[in-house]
Amino acid sequence: MSETGGRARPPRKPKRNQLPVGLIVFALMIAAGVLLSVYRSGALAMAWVFGGCFGFILQKSRFCFTASMRDPCITGSTSVTKAVLMAFAITTIGFTAIKYAAFASGQEIPGQSYVMPVSLATAAGGILFGIGMVIAGGCASGTLMRVGEGFGMQMLSLLFFVIGSLWGAKDMGWWNLNVIAGAPRVFLPDVFGWFGAVVIQLLIIACLYVAADLWERKKMGITE
Amino acid sequence: MAEFELDCLGEACPVPLMKTEKKMAGLKSGDTLIVHIDHSCAMKNVPEWARKQGHNVEVEEVGDGEWDVIIEKC
Repeated sequence: MSETGGRARPPRKPKRNQLPVGLIVFALMIAAGVLLSVYRSGALAMAWVFGGCFGFILQKSRFCFTASMRDPCITGSTSVTKAVLMAFAITTIGFTAIKYAAFASGQEIPGQSYVMPVSLATAAGGILFGIGMVIAGGCASGTLMRVGEGFGMQMLSLLFFVIGSLWGAKDMGWWNLNVIAGAPRVFLPDVFGWFGAVVIQLLIIACLYVAADLWERKKMGITE
Repeated sequence: MAEFELDCLGEACPVPLMKTEKKMAGLKSGDTLIVHIDHSCAMKNVPEWARKQGHNVEVEEVGDGEWDVIIEKC
């Protein structure tokens, strides 16, 4: 440490204080939220707030879905993988609570239109998306976050992400009709019951977590 | 005790990490490598990888959104 720490570094240009800019942006974001709730809808304002918070957390935590899938293959590091698995476990409990609350009070369960058919198309799409996100250096949220940080290359990623998404949206109807729609939709609580579904999903996540931990130990040969 | 530099400015994850990994393999014990990066994600995973390998690591923010990762091979 002493050798690197004591080394003379050439003087750098002083850093600009970004705090005023940050405060102005923050104030503008709040103003935009208020305007949205007054002139548009409260739901839109909530989406704006959640979007802002999500972006902030994503940037500060360096949470990266791409790294969670990529790093185990490249370096053997699974710390991000484990973080993603933990997030999955938490959201499993949270979403079950929301859905079960609606189910128990006899209301329509929210978000059921997102229970998508599962088929080989899911796997094929996953592989294509995986290749794309490793080349682009980020998934959708990661790319957006790094564009916000001002990383030039990923502005290009975002541009082509938009183009690809538009193309996908245009042809989605055909794929849906001819390839996807025939496949079964699986909603775990229908199969295992509410309690069973939560337990089984958490067990699978726990197994993946242990596997990720063992993988890191094997690949990197570390003992924390 | 040689000092090496690696310019990864403008390169997205995982390129800086892979370049660092390759470069470190050619270094001798006690050598230092300074990696210049401007991708926030590399600022996380390059030091993490190097620390797990047992090297000494320091991160210095040299500008807005620009970092030097200083790695001393163990």
